Amino acid sequence: MIRVLLRKELLELRRSPLLVLSMISLPATVVAVPVGLLAWMVHAAPEQALAFIQELYGVRSSDWGVGGVASVLARNWLPMFLVLPIFLPIMLASQSIGGERERRTLEPLLASPVSTLSIILAKSLAALLPALAITWVSAALFCLGVDAVVGHPILPDSAWLFGTFALSPLLALFGNATAVVVSSRVLDSRAAQNLAATTVLPLLALLVVQLAGRIALGPPFYFGLAAGVAAADAALIALAVRLFDRERLLTQWR
Amino acid sequence: MSAIEAHGLGKSFGGRPACRDVSFAVERGEVFGFLGPNGAGKTTTLRMLAGLFAPDSGTARVAGCEIAPGRPGGPELRAKVGLLTESPGFYDRLTARENLVHFARLQRAREPGRRSDELIERFALRAHADRPFAELSRGMKQKLAIARALVHDPEVVFLDEPTVGLDPQATREVRSLVAEMAAEHATIVLCTHHLDEVERLCSRAAFIAGRLVAVHEIRRETLLRIELAAPFQPDGVRALCRSLRLDGTTLLIEPLAEVPDIVAALVGAGARIAEVAPHRDPLEDAWLQLLAETDSP
Repeated sequence: MIRVLLRKELLELRRSPLLVLSMISLPATVVAVPVGLLAWMVHAAPEQALAFIQELYGVRSSDWGVGGVASVLARNWLPMFLVLPIFLPIMLASQSIGGERERRTLEPLLASPVSTLSIILAKSLAALLPALAITWVSAALFCLGVDAVVGHPILPDSAWLFGTFALSPLLALFGNATAVVVSSRVLDSRAAQNLAATTVLPLLALLVVQLAGRIALGPPFYFGLAAGVAAADAALIALAVRLFDRERLLTQWR
Repeated sequence: MSAIEAHGLGKSFGGRPACRDVSFAVERGEVFGFLGPNGAGKTTTLRMLAGLFAPDSGTARVAGCEIAPGRPGGPELRAKVGLLTESPGFYDRLTARENLVHFARLQRAREPGRRSDELIERFALRAHADRPFAELSRGMKQKLAIARALVHDPEVVFLDEPTVGLDPQATREVRSLVAEMAAEHATIVLCTHHLDEVERLCSRAAFIAGRLVAVHEIRRETLLRIELAAPFQPDGVRALCRSLRLDGTTLLIEPLAEVPDIVAALVGAGARIAEVAPHRDPLEDAWLQLLAETDSP
């Protein structure tokens, strides 16, 4: 049943070029802007700008040079690639239950012998898989772009590999599960999307503080984040199944 | 064993009763009408019987599956019934065929692709099968929704307002599809507020107005209407009638004896007869009379 539902969800996504475009626009910006900035730094930035960045991020004199600064900036950009896997599934998952209600397809779905767990898992996978694919392609393009600009391979390092392959799926599941929970309680899909999107704010705040040179997030932070998010994922999926109230979904419109 | 047995079903939403004390039985192969004005609780009752809602009170057995408070029937029941929902409810970007195959798979139909094609052919949708659902006409959408209700060969089919919002041509097509299903001895519960639809297609009808008012046998034979010149108690001729209804000075009789014998018996008992005429028993009369006789909720 999960496969049947998933196939339908992916088919619908394939037939929605505007939705796919809107999902790609943010990752494209997240890749193009910093790579472009690094290219400017490497080829055209004045000495004072490089000195300022060196001072801001505490780059040691032995690391001095355009490559060192670029490397620090590229690594600091990692949290943005952790925001993507949360944000992208929200765009799909917030439509999952609320969207079915609005299109009047929820009743036929609930009238079929599909279990609540199957519906939630299928909806989750349908949001997770495209989001992860886009995140991984974006991360790969970013790493290739940075390496090409700097002139030698600096990415992906261990933090990037851990962030991309371990943290991203967990965060994607977190964003998706949050959206499914919100979507099954807040019956307006637009409101659900807005509410669920607020979950990216803590990571965005960390990104800003790190880019401002106030903190440097290292492996302990990322390991801790992974453990916390994994626990939250399990709790959110259980909550989503528990909160999925068939009667309420079919009879209440607010 | 009946296909459906409902005993005292009741359901409230937020303290407001949607329906209460609904009891009736539907035999296998019967087309059963479910009549009532908008908001009378028809859809709520259907949703309980189709395994979507658990009742607050009462019990039911549908296709051998038990329904009780806190136990809405589950996947086993939902696999055995077909439900035509009030709105067709398909995915706009998928074609008619893709939609039908998708729901056939969800409903655990055997050979979903072949079964979907069979229904597409039967419902004259083949020329439109590869068009996105959004591009179909309202009538085609409704036919596709009926096909979905049948795609897994359910034991019981619930049709909720199958002709609402359709133009006369589409209405006729949908009614003839239901008549075909009835001829194939499908067990169908037809929920509607169109009395003529029930008269045409059903053998019995339940009247619901918040609670179940009555179950009415649909009669297709002609009755005898006798207009009396003066009020009269016709108890003396009851033995000659299968049923007898007196409304003021109008006597409606389902005769057991020949008409001249009934007239002679009435005259012999002292009745003054103004007119004798054949009479069709429109459901509308029964419905209005039942509403008048029963306290509305």
